[in-house]
Formats: sequence, C-alpha cells, structure tokens
Amino acid sequence: MSDVRVRPMTELDIEGICRIDERITGKYRPEVWEQRAAYYIRRDPDSSQVADVGGRVVGFMLGEVRGGEFGLEEPTGWVEFFGVDPSSREKGVGRRLIEALLGHFRSKGAHVARTMVATQDKDIAAFIAAMGFKPAPLSALEKRL
Amino acid sequence: MKDDVRTLPKQYHDAIEHWQRHNFPDFPKLAEEWDRFFPKDEPFCLCAKIAEDIPTQIEVGERKGEAKALAPKDLPEEAAQHLLMQIKAQASTEFGSIQQHQGTLARAQEPQDHAWALRVMAEELRHGYQMVHLLTSADWSPVTDTKAADMVEEILSMQTGSHVLAAFNLEYDSFLDNVVFAAFIDRVGKYQLTMQKISAYKPYASSMPPMLREEAFHLAAGVIPLRRWVEAAARGDGYITMHDIQKATHKWFGRGLEMFGDERGGETNVRFGLKDMANREAQDMYVEECERMYDDLNERYVRVRLPKLSRDEAEKAFARIKAGETVEGVSPEELLRLPDRRFFRRRGEYAYQMVGTTGESFSAVEQYVAHVLVNLPEAYRASIDVKHWADLQRKVSRGEMPLKEAISSMPRLARMSGGCPCAKSVRWVSSQESVN
Repeated sequence: MSDVRVRPMTELDIEGICRIDERITGKYRPEVWEQRAAYYIRRDPDSSQVADVGGRVVGFMLGEVRGGEFGLEEPTGWVEFFGVDPSSREKGVGRRLIEALLGHFRSKGAHVARTMVATQDKDIAAFIAAMGFKPAPLSALEKRL
Repeated sequence: MKDDVRTLPKQYHDAIEHWQRHNFPDFPKLAEEWDRFFPKDEPFCLCAKIAEDIPTQIEVGERKGEAKALAPKDLPEEAAQHLLMQIKAQASTEFGSIQQHQGTLARAQEPQDHAWALRVMAEELRHGYQMVHLLTSADWSPVTDTKAADMVEEILSMQTGSHVLAAFNLEYDSFLDNVVFAAFIDRVGKYQLTMQKISAYKPYASSMPPMLREEAFHLAAGVIPLRRWVEAAARGDGYITMHDIQKATHKWFGRGLEMFGDERGGETNVRFGLKDMANREAQDMYVEECERMYDDLNERYVRVRLPKLSRDEAEKAFARIKAGETVEGVSPEELLRLPDRRFFRRRGEYAYQMVGTTGESFSAVEQYVAHVLVNLPEAYRASIDVKHWADLQRKVSRGEMPLKEAISSMPRLARMSGGCPCAKSVRWVSSQESVN
C-alpha cells in the first residue's frame, strides 16, 4: 500500500477509528473512542498515529511516553490501543504505524517500549513479536474482586 | 525534547494575573477540575514555553537558507513591522477568546464540557503570556516608538468589541458558541500557528510547537461535544438541535475565513519568511478540513437516525443523503452543511457581496438582509454586531458607502485607555519603581 500516509491522530479521526473498531469487534462505541482520543490528544498530540488512504483512516495506534508506571521509573513508550481495518491487513499498515509510534517515543527520550497482549489474541501477539517485542521480565497478575 | 520554560519579569507577570482576575474570574476553579478531569496531566503552568529543536535557517521566502533572526533588528524593517503586527494580533486573539468564553462558561450542561472549556481558556491565557514574552523580551525600537509596557497595556485593555479580528469581537450567546468557536475559530488558530512555525524570527518559531500541542486539544474540545450533541439530536432527546448548530455555524464560519486575511493577499508574509502559505491556499485547506469535520458529524447523525443499518449500509445511506436524496426518512436538510464561503462576509475578496448560504446571489439588499437574519441564531440577530453589519450592507449595496470604508468599520470601540477597570489611576503594567 504505497499510498498509505501515517500521521498523528487528530480529533477528526475519531469516526474513522470507530469504524475500524466496529469492523473488528462488531460494536459501535463512539463514546469510548472520543474519551480515548481526547486523552491522547491533550497529553501528546504528536504521539498517537493513524494510517490513512485518500483521507480514509485504515489503521490506528494509540500510545504515549510515561514514567513511573508499575514502579518503572524510566520513560517508557506504552503501546496501548491499535487496530487495522480488516480489508487493509497484510499490507504493512501495522508495521508503518508502529514504526512511527516508536520513532516518536525515541524522540521523547524513551529507550524502551512496552505493551500487554491478551493471551487469546494470537494474531496480535504474533504481530507484536514480529515487530521485535520480546517477553518482559514482568508478569501481568490479576485478582477478581 | 523538553521545552524551555520562562517566566515574565514581575511587572508583566503581575499585569497578566491582574488581567486574569478581571477577565477570567473562573480561573481558580481550574485546579480543582484538573484533579478530577486531567489527573495524570502535568499541572497548568502560566509561563512561556520555548521549543529547542527549531531550524536555525530561514525556511521559505527570499532569504531562504540565511540564519533566522534572533532579534527584531536582524530582520528587514518591513518584515519586522509585519512580525510585530502578527504578534500583537495573535496576543489579541488569545486574550479576546478568554473574554468571550468567560461570558457563557457557567452555562455548560456537562461538568466535563465545563472543565474542557476552562482548560482551553487557561491555555489561551498561557498563549497570551507567550506573546507578551515575545513583546517584552526583545528590543522592538527599530520598528516602533511604542515601549513594550505600552504595547502590553494596549493589548490587556482590549475588550470584546475592540480586538484586532472580528471573530474576537462577538459575544457568545450560549455554551453552544463556546463549542462551535473551538471547532471553527481555534481551527484557524491551528493553521496560523502552523504557518508561523517556520517564522524567520526564531523566538517566534520556537513559541509555536508548545502552543500547537495545546491547540490540538482545543479542537477536540469543540468537536467531541459537537459529536455528542449531534447524536442526542438524532435521538430526538437533545437540548441542542441540528438547526441550532447550523445557525451557530453561520455565525462563525465567515469570521473564521476572514481571520486568514484577504484571499488575494499573504504573499508578503511568505516572501519575508514569516509564514509558509499565502492566505487563499491556507483558507482552502481550512475549508476542506471543516468539510471533513461536518462529514464526520453528519455520519454520526445518520448512524443514530438509521440504527438498523450496518456500518457499510449507513455509510452508503449518508453518501446518498449528502448527494441530495432522502433515505428512509432522513433528508439532506437535516444534515449540517458549511455555508458558501461568500455568505455573510465583511472582509476579504467577498466582503459585502450578497451571496446566500448555498451560493445563491441576491440583487435586492433587503431580501439579502432578511436571508442572512433568518439563518443566524436568534440571540445573535439582536446584537449590535448584526445591526452594524446590516446597516453597512445596505449602505454598500446602495452605493452610499465605499467598500473599503465598510471593511474597516467596527461596531464599537470598547478600549479603556490603557487602564484596568479597578481604578483609572491603576494601570495594567506598573513600573518596578512604583511597585516598590
């Protein structure tokens, strides 16, 4: 997909992100994505990325650099939400998004990027591994309350 | 890379805080709302922020490749004069928008909308502070006899009605204006800041990236409430109808277009390396972006109005409605649309041409005035601003007033001769000696 443009997300990408989310999950959740987009835009509008083709959003990757999470004091680039339109997969969109996001993380002084993947999300785990992420010396733990 | 943070000399910092107490009395609420709505964000800082990774060479214009100016004296005199006007106009918009927002801030229906608008106002205050920093941290004597303190005082004495640009001289009628203003007028602000990011004056260029980062949220603070209101309107349980939003659009869109300057101008700023686009080019991009914004809002409206349709079916239905069809009871008239860019114009290439919302031409001035009035919000119709426009439109159309005179006419001047409202003897900017 040579005509893919990767650029920082803006407030006008929300409906495009909702469209991709709906195609993946079957749910239309505009309120959820409005809140998430507002969060990332106000904290660092150059961080989160979208891929667009002719003005249509075909992929997104939201994340930011934070320090102090889980006792990890070093600035960490957190990759938190991403999705690629099913019709645009296997075309390098995800790779271009993550390269742009990681590039921004580096420019903000982060030397490490982290993410978490649900065990059942095999495709996402494979993609993340292909992008060079390795299991971290941390375990995700939980307790039902 | 972190921005360099600077504080103004005490007399100017105090003057801005003094201005805030008179013009932005809700500012103290920001701290408590910050903890609730922006708990992870860095606290607000009333300071100037200077980006450090700015190119050192001029990026556009006839001096491209030369070193950027570090002081006004390093610029050609005419360029420095243009730059000074830019900074003063930018400062006027920052302080002016706070005065406008303050009037209707308390009428926000949702606590989050209130908090977002409050943050927008605080960040505009910081942007005004940034402009004052530019005026007071350099020697402008090569291009003006006015002292820095007097320039600052002039800016701080402006009221809604006496600002440099018309968009900042309109009162808000309701909280709808806070939101539509953020979506349309702050979007022009984004374009101006983006164009000025390449400024041949390095201190100005260095001021732009931190302001642009904050401006991005201001646009979200306009678009996201609009998205929710559009959805509520589609469900039929909203307090704000599509018609209300449409009329507010008619109020603000033309003023936003005029903020770019005359469509035929702007080349001088490019030649001097102060901006990277002329007025029409930037305005065209702005209009295209506003169209995207309204497509987005309309798509959301259609999704709610036609809930049984799948995503793909709803998108096709929206395309048909936009093209003029009525689909399953949803007609094109229900959707939001940008007015023709010649509608209700008072400056620029199309000033006082009688063109309606959809591009239709009028030959009789009374018919045109009636058309404009019926398309504006009711509360705004009753304002001095609209009356002033209608009087001028009649005079221009009847040949009783030259167009140039009408273009430069303002409805009222509310300046206060440099004094703050607490006492005529107290000025915004006090000299160090008198403070001591």
